[in-house]
Amino acid sequence: MKDTQVILDLQAYVDGELDTARRAEVERLLTGDAEARELVEGLRQVARLIRDHEPTSAVPETREFYWSQIQRRIAAQESQTSRPQPAAAAINWLRWLAPALGVAAVAVVLAMPKKELSGQEFAEATTMTFHSDADGLTLHWIE
Amino acid sequence: MNQTLKHEYPSAPDDRLVAWAQGGDPEAFEELVHRHRDKIYARAMIMMRNEDEALDLSQEAWVKGWQRLVQFQGESSFATWMTRIVINLCLDQLRRHKRMRAESIELMEEEGGGVERHLPVVHVNPTEGMEKEELRKRIDEAMDKLTDAHRAVLVLHEFEGLEYKEIAKKVGISIGTVMSRLFYARRRLAGLLQGLKRERSE
Repeated sequence: MKDTQVILDLQAYVDGELDTARRAEVERLLTGDAEARELVEGLRQVARLIRDHEPTSAVPETREFYWSQIQRRIAAQESQTSRPQPAAAAINWLRWLAPALGVAAVAVVLAMPKKELSGQEFAEATTMTFHSDADGLTLHWIE
Repeated sequence: MNQTLKHEYPSAPDDRLVAWAQGGDPEAFEELVHRHRDKIYARAMIMMRNEDEALDLSQEAWVKGWQRLVQFQGESSFATWMTRIVINLCLDQLRRHKRMRAESIELMEEEGGGVERHLPVVHVNPTEGMEKEELRKRIDEAMDKLTDAHRAVLVLHEFEGLEYKEIAKKVGISIGTVMSRLFYARRRLAGLLQGLKRERSE
Protein backbone atom coordinates (compact mmCIF):
# COMPACT_ATOMS: atom_id res chain seq x y z
CA MET A 1 0.00 0.00 0.00
CA LYS A 2 1.35 3.36 -1.00
CA ASP A 3 2.13 6.19 1.32
CA THR A 4 -0.77 8.70 1.55
CA GLN A 5 1.38 11.55 0.25
CA VAL A 6 2.39 9.53 -2.83
CA ILE A 7 -1.28 8.69 -3.47
CA LEU A 8 -2.28 12.33 -3.19
CA ASP A 9 0.59 13.31 -5.50
CA LEU A 10 -0.64 10.78 -8.04
CA GLN A 11 -4.07 12.36 -7.82
CA ALA A 12 -2.57 15.85 -8.18
CA TYR A 13 -0.77 14.53 -11.27
CA VAL A 14 -4.08 13.38 -12.75
CA ASP A 15 -5.62 16.79 -11.95
CA GLY A 16 -2.73 18.72 -13.49
CA GLU A 17 -1.86 20.33 -10.17
CA LEU A 18 1.85 19.47 -9.94
CA ASP A 19 4.74 21.76 -10.79
CA THR A 20 7.21 20.67 -13.47
CA ALA A 21 9.74 19.11 -11.10
CA ARG A 22 7.20 17.08 -9.13
CA ARG A 23 5.45 16.01 -12.31
CA ALA A 24 8.73 14.63 -13.64
CA GLU A 25 9.24 12.71 -10.38
CA VAL A 26 5.76 11.21 -10.60
CA GLU A 27 6.31 10.25 -14.24
CA ARG A 28 9.52 8.47 -13.26
CA LEU A 29 7.61 6.61 -10.55
CA LEU A 30 4.92 5.60 -13.00
CA THR A 31 7.35 4.00 -15.45
CA GLY A 32 8.43 1.44 -12.89
CA ASP A 33 5.38 1.02 -10.65
CA ALA A 34 2.38 -0.91 -11.94
CA GLU A 35 0.31 -0.21 -8.81
CA ALA A 36 0.81 3.54 -9.24
CA ARG A 37 -0.15 3.30 -12.92
CA GLU A 38 -3.31 1.40 -12.00
CA LEU A 39 -4.25 4.02 -9.42
CA VAL A 40 -3.68 6.85 -11.90
CA GLU A 41 -5.81 5.10 -14.49
CA GLY A 42 -8.56 4.44 -11.93
CA LEU A 43 -8.59 8.06 -10.81
CA ARG A 44 -8.73 9.29 -14.40
CA GLN A 45 -11.60 7.02 -15.16
CA VAL A 46 -13.70 7.96 -12.16
CA ALA A 47 -13.05 11.68 -12.67
CA ARG A 48 -14.13 11.40 -16.31
CA LEU A 49 -17.15 9.36 -15.34
CA ILE A 50 -18.33 11.97 -12.84
CA ARG A 51 -17.73 14.90 -15.17
CA ASP A 52 -19.51 13.24 -18.08
CA HIS A 53 -22.54 12.31 -16.02
CA GLU A 54 -23.31 15.37 -13.98
CA PRO A 55 -26.64 14.77 -12.24
CA THR A 56 -29.45 16.94 -13.56
CA SER A 57 -32.63 18.18 -11.88
CA ALA A 58 -35.52 20.23 -13.19
CA VAL A 59 -37.17 22.99 -11.16
CA PRO A 60 -40.39 21.41 -9.84
CA GLU A 61 -42.42 24.56 -10.54
CA THR A 62 -43.87 26.25 -13.59
CA ARG A 63 -41.97 29.04 -15.31
CA GLU A 64 -44.53 31.64 -14.22
CA PHE A 65 -44.70 30.57 -10.59
CA TYR A 66 -40.92 30.28 -10.20
CA TRP A 67 -40.39 33.74 -11.71
CA SER A 68 -43.19 35.30 -9.64
CA GLN A 69 -41.46 34.12 -6.47
CA ILE A 70 -38.16 35.63 -7.61
CA GLN A 71 -39.91 38.87 -8.53
CA ARG A 72 -41.51 39.02 -5.09
CA ARG A 73 -38.15 38.57 -3.39
CA ILE A 74 -36.53 41.24 -5.55
CA ALA A 75 -39.36 43.66 -4.77
CA ALA A 76 -39.15 42.88 -1.04
CA GLN A 77 -35.40 43.47 -0.95
CA GLU A 78 -35.65 46.65 -3.01
CA SER A 79 -38.32 48.09 -0.73
CA GLN A 80 -36.17 47.17 2.27
CA THR A 81 -33.15 49.03 0.90
CA SER A 82 -35.21 52.09 -0.06
CA ARG A 83 -36.88 52.24 3.37
CA PRO A 84 -35.01 54.58 5.77
CA GLN A 85 -32.89 52.72 8.28
CA PRO A 86 -33.68 53.32 12.00
CA ALA A 87 -30.57 55.50 12.51
CA ALA A 88 -31.34 57.56 9.43
CA ALA A 89 -34.95 57.94 10.58
CA ALA A 90 -33.77 59.25 13.96
CA ILE A 91 -31.56 61.85 12.23
CA ASN A 92 -34.51 62.94 10.10
CA TRP A 93 -36.62 63.39 13.21
CA LEU A 94 -33.86 65.46 14.81
CA ARG A 95 -33.75 67.66 11.72
CA TRP A 96 -37.42 68.42 12.13
CA LEU A 97 -37.20 68.81 15.89
CA ALA A 98 -34.08 70.97 15.94
CA PRO A 99 -35.79 74.33 15.19
CA ALA A 100 -38.47 73.58 17.79
CA LEU A 101 -35.83 72.65 20.35
CA GLY A 102 -33.97 75.89 19.60
CA VAL A 103 -37.10 77.98 20.09
CA ALA A 104 -37.87 76.12 23.33
CA ALA A 105 -34.34 76.74 24.62
CA VAL A 106 -34.63 80.48 23.91
CA ALA A 107 -38.05 80.58 25.61
CA VAL A 108 -36.64 78.89 28.71
CA VAL A 109 -33.76 81.38 28.88
CA LEU A 110 -36.13 84.34 28.47
CA ALA A 111 -38.50 83.02 31.11
CA MET A 112 -35.77 82.62 33.69
CA PRO A 113 -35.55 85.41 36.35
CA LYS A 114 -33.07 87.99 35.20
CA LYS A 115 -29.99 88.31 37.33
CA GLU A 116 -26.93 90.45 36.87
CA LEU A 117 -23.84 88.33 36.68
CA SER A 118 -21.07 89.45 38.93
CA GLY A 119 -17.57 89.55 37.47
CA GLN A 120 -16.66 86.28 39.18
CA GLU A 121 -19.84 84.48 38.08
CA PHE A 122 -19.24 85.69 34.53
CA ALA A 123 -15.72 84.29 34.63
CA GLU A 124 -17.09 80.94 35.84
CA ALA A 125 -19.76 80.73 33.13
CA THR A 126 -19.19 77.90 30.68
CA THR A 127 -20.46 77.61 27.14
CA MET A 128 -20.90 74.65 24.82
CA THR A 129 -21.50 74.85 21.11
CA PHE A 130 -22.81 72.07 18.90
CA HIS A 131 -22.82 72.50 15.14
CA SER A 132 -23.99 70.05 12.52
CA ASP A 133 -23.44 70.90 8.84
CA ALA A 134 -25.56 67.94 7.81
CA ASP A 135 -28.53 69.20 9.80
CA GLY A 136 -27.82 72.92 9.28
CA LEU A 137 -28.02 73.39 13.02
CA THR A 138 -25.99 75.30 15.64
CA LEU A 139 -26.78 75.12 19.35
CA HIS A 140 -25.09 77.27 22.05
CA TRP A 141 -25.45 76.17 25.67
CA ILE A 142 -24.49 78.69 28.43
CA GLU A 143 -24.29 77.74 32.11
CA MET B 1 -37.83 47.28 -24.31
CA ASN B 2 -40.41 47.80 -27.05
CA GLN B 3 -42.96 45.26 -28.27
CA THR B 4 -40.94 44.35 -31.37
CA LEU B 5 -37.92 43.34 -29.37
CA LYS B 6 -39.98 41.20 -27.02
CA HIS B 7 -40.28 38.66 -29.83
CA GLU B 8 -36.52 38.40 -29.83
CA TYR B 9 -36.16 37.19 -26.23
CA PRO B 10 -36.33 33.45 -26.88
CA SER B 11 -33.87 33.60 -29.78
CA ALA B 12 -31.53 36.26 -28.38
CA PRO B 13 -28.13 35.04 -27.17
CA ASP B 14 -27.33 35.31 -23.46
CA ASP B 15 -25.00 38.29 -23.84
CA ARG B 16 -27.72 40.33 -25.53
CA LEU B 17 -30.27 39.42 -22.86
CA VAL B 18 -27.71 40.30 -20.20
CA ALA B 19 -27.14 43.71 -21.81
CA TRP B 20 -30.89 44.37 -21.90
CA ALA B 21 -31.27 43.22 -18.31
CA GLN B 22 -28.35 45.40 -17.24
CA GLY B 23 -30.29 48.29 -18.74
CA GLY B 24 -33.13 47.46 -16.34
CA ASP B 25 -35.26 45.16 -18.49
CA PRO B 26 -36.79 42.54 -16.14
CA GLU B 27 -38.31 40.58 -19.02
CA ALA B 28 -34.89 39.95 -20.52
CA PHE B 29 -33.77 38.76 -17.11
CA GLU B 30 -36.81 36.49 -16.86
CA GLU B 31 -35.76 34.87 -20.14
CA LEU B 32 -32.30 34.23 -18.67
CA VAL B 33 -33.90 32.72 -15.57
CA HIS B 34 -36.06 30.48 -17.71
CA ARG B 35 -33.10 29.43 -19.82
CA HIS B 36 -30.77 28.50 -16.96
CA ARG B 37 -33.05 27.79 -14.02
CA ASP B 38 -32.70 23.99 -14.21
CA LYS B 39 -28.91 24.16 -14.21
CA ILE B 40 -28.83 26.51 -11.23
CA TYR B 41 -31.40 24.45 -9.36
CA ALA B 42 -29.55 21.21 -10.17
CA ARG B 43 -26.31 22.62 -8.80
CA ALA B 44 -28.06 23.63 -5.58
CA MET B 45 -29.69 20.21 -5.44
CA ILE B 46 -26.36 18.37 -5.77
CA MET B 47 -24.91 20.46 -2.97
CA MET B 48 -27.83 20.47 -0.55
CA ARG B 49 -29.61 17.16 -1.29
CA ASN B 50 -32.90 18.74 -0.30
CA GLU B 51 -35.55 19.99 -2.69
CA ASP B 52 -36.86 22.84 -0.53
CA GLU B 53 -33.41 24.17 0.26
CA ALA B 54 -32.35 23.84 -3.37
CA LEU B 55 -35.42 25.73 -4.54
CA ASP B 56 -34.95 28.46 -1.96
CA LEU B 57 -31.24 28.90 -2.67
CA SER B 58 -31.68 28.82 -6.43
CA GLN B 59 -34.25 31.62 -6.20
CA GLU B 60 -32.00 33.58 -3.87
CA ALA B 61 -29.21 33.17 -6.41
CA TRP B 62 -31.40 34.76 -9.11
CA VAL B 63 -32.20 37.66 -6.79
CA LYS B 64 -28.48 38.19 -6.18
CA GLY B 65 -27.85 37.80 -9.91
CA TRP B 66 -30.31 40.59 -10.68
CA GLN B 67 -28.86 42.84 -7.97
CA ARG B 68 -25.26 42.29 -9.08
CA LEU B 69 -25.89 42.18 -12.79
CA VAL B 70 -24.05 45.47 -13.39
CA GLN B 71 -20.91 43.78 -12.03
CA PHE B 72 -21.08 41.03 -14.66
CA GLN B 73 -18.56 41.95 -17.33
CA GLY B 74 -18.64 38.74 -19.36
CA GLU B 75 -15.33 37.25 -18.12
CA SER B 76 -17.14 33.91 -17.99
CA SER B 77 -20.44 32.78 -19.46
CA PHE B 78 -23.55 34.06 -17.73
CA ALA B 79 -24.46 30.50 -16.68
CA THR B 80 -21.02 30.00 -15.09
CA TRP B 81 -21.34 33.32 -13.28
CA MET B 82 -24.74 32.26 -11.95
CA THR B 83 -23.53 28.83 -10.83
CA ARG B 84 -20.77 30.50 -8.84
CA ILE B 85 -23.40 32.60 -7.07
CA VAL B 86 -25.54 29.60 -6.18
CA ILE B 87 -22.51 27.57 -5.08
CA ASN B 88 -21.46 30.38 -2.73
CA LEU B 89 -24.95 30.53 -1.27
CA CYS B 90 -24.94 26.75 -0.76
CA LEU B 91 -21.54 26.88 0.96
CA ASP B 92 -22.77 29.68 3.23
CA GLN B 93 -25.84 27.64 4.11
CA LEU B 94 -23.78 24.51 4.82
CA ARG B 95 -21.45 26.54 7.02
CA ARG B 96 -24.34 28.18 8.83
CA HIS B 97 -25.79 24.79 9.66
CA LYS B 98 -22.34 23.46 10.52
CA ARG B 99 -22.66 20.81 7.86
CA MET B 100 -19.11 21.36 6.61
CA ARG B 101 -17.51 20.00 9.76
CA ALA B 102 -16.21 16.52 10.46
CA GLU B 103 -19.68 15.18 11.03
CA SER B 104 -19.04 11.51 10.47
CA ILE B 105 -16.71 8.74 11.37
CA GLU B 106 -15.86 8.48 7.68
CA LEU B 107 -14.56 12.01 7.57
CA MET B 108 -12.59 11.65 10.77
CA GLU B 109 -10.99 8.45 9.49
CA GLU B 110 -10.14 10.09 6.21
CA GLU B 111 -8.58 13.12 7.86
CA GLY B 112 -6.67 10.83 10.19
CA GLY B 113 -4.95 9.41 7.11
CA GLY B 114 -6.87 6.18 6.76
CA VAL B 115 -8.34 6.77 3.33
CA GLU B 116 -6.51 4.30 1.20
CA ARG B 117 -6.88 1.37 3.57
CA HIS B 118 -10.65 1.36 3.39
CA LEU B 119 -11.50 1.38 -0.29
CA PRO B 120 -10.09 -0.52 -3.21
CA VAL B 121 -9.06 1.02 -6.48
CA VAL B 122 -11.96 0.46 -8.83
CA HIS B 123 -12.47 0.79 -12.53
CA VAL B 124 -15.89 1.64 -13.77
CA ASN B 125 -16.67 1.15 -17.39
CA PRO B 126 -19.79 3.12 -18.26
CA THR B 127 -20.27 1.18 -21.44
CA GLU B 128 -20.72 -2.08 -19.52
CA GLY B 129 -24.45 -2.44 -19.37
CA MET B 130 -25.48 1.02 -18.22
CA GLU B 131 -27.16 3.71 -20.26
CA LYS B 132 -25.94 7.27 -19.86
CA GLU B 133 -29.12 8.45 -18.13
CA GLU B 134 -29.14 5.50 -15.79
CA LEU B 135 -25.53 6.07 -14.90
CA ARG B 136 -26.26 9.74 -14.24
CA LYS B 137 -29.00 8.70 -11.86
CA ARG B 138 -26.72 6.21 -10.12
CA ILE B 139 -24.01 8.82 -9.69
CA ASP B 140 -26.59 11.14 -8.17
CA GLU B 141 -27.64 8.42 -5.73
CA ALA B 142 -24.01 7.69 -4.87
CA MET B 143 -23.44 11.42 -4.27
CA ASP B 144 -26.19 11.25 -1.71
CA LYS B 145 -24.09 8.85 0.33
CA LEU B 146 -21.16 11.26 0.59
CA THR B 147 -20.93 13.69 3.46
CA ASP B 148 -21.65 17.36 2.69
CA ALA B 149 -17.96 18.15 3.14
CA HIS B 150 -16.81 15.52 0.63
CA ARG B 151 -19.53 16.29 -1.87
CA ALA B 152 -18.80 20.03 -1.79
CA VAL B 153 -15.16 19.49 -2.69
CA LEU B 154 -16.07 17.01 -5.42
CA VAL B 155 -18.64 19.35 -6.98
CA LEU B 156 -16.28 22.32 -6.88
CA HIS B 157 -13.56 20.30 -8.58
CA GLU B 158 -15.43 18.18 -11.09
CA PHE B 159 -18.35 20.41 -12.05
CA GLU B 160 -17.10 23.90 -11.30
CA GLY B 161 -13.59 23.11 -12.55
CA LEU B 162 -11.88 24.88 -9.66
CA GLU B 163 -8.24 24.29 -8.77
CA TYR B 164 -7.22 22.96 -5.36
CA LYS B 165 -6.19 26.39 -4.06
CA GLU B 166 -9.46 27.97 -5.20
CA ILE B 167 -11.45 25.23 -3.45
CA ALA B 168 -9.35 25.62 -0.29
CA LYS B 169 -10.08 29.35 -0.24
CA LYS B 170 -13.79 28.97 -0.95
CA VAL B 171 -14.39 26.23 1.61
CA GLY B 172 -11.92 27.55 4.19
CA ILE B 173 -9.75 24.44 4.49
CA SER B 174 -6.12 23.62 3.68
CA ILE B 175 -5.03 22.39 0.24
CA GLY B 176 -4.03 19.09 1.88
CA THR B 177 -7.58 18.63 3.17
CA VAL B 178 -8.97 19.45 -0.28
CA MET B 179 -6.75 16.73 -1.75
CA SER B 180 -7.68 14.09 0.79
CA ARG B 181 -11.41 14.89 0.65
CA LEU B 182 -11.34 14.78 -3.14
CA PHE B 183 -9.50 11.47 -3.14
CA TYR B 184 -11.81 9.96 -0.60
CA ALA B 185 -14.92 11.19 -2.44
CA ARG B 186 -13.76 9.79 -5.77
CA ARG B 187 -12.93 6.41 -4.37
CA ARG B 188 -16.09 6.23 -2.33
CA LEU B 189 -18.12 7.06 -5.42
CA ALA B 190 -16.20 4.55 -7.51
CA GLY B 191 -16.72 1.93 -4.81
CA LEU B 192 -20.46 2.60 -4.75
CA LEU B 193 -20.68 2.35 -8.52
CA GLN B 194 -18.63 -0.82 -8.55
CA GLY B 195 -21.03 -2.37 -6.06
CA LEU B 196 -23.87 -1.42 -8.33
CA LYS B 197 -22.23 -3.09 -11.29
CA ARG B 198 -21.79 -6.28 -9.29
CA GLU B 199 -25.47 -6.14 -8.25
CA ARG B 200 -26.51 -5.89 -11.89
CA SER B 201 -24.30 -8.73 -13.07
CA GLU B 202 -25.49 -11.17 -10.36
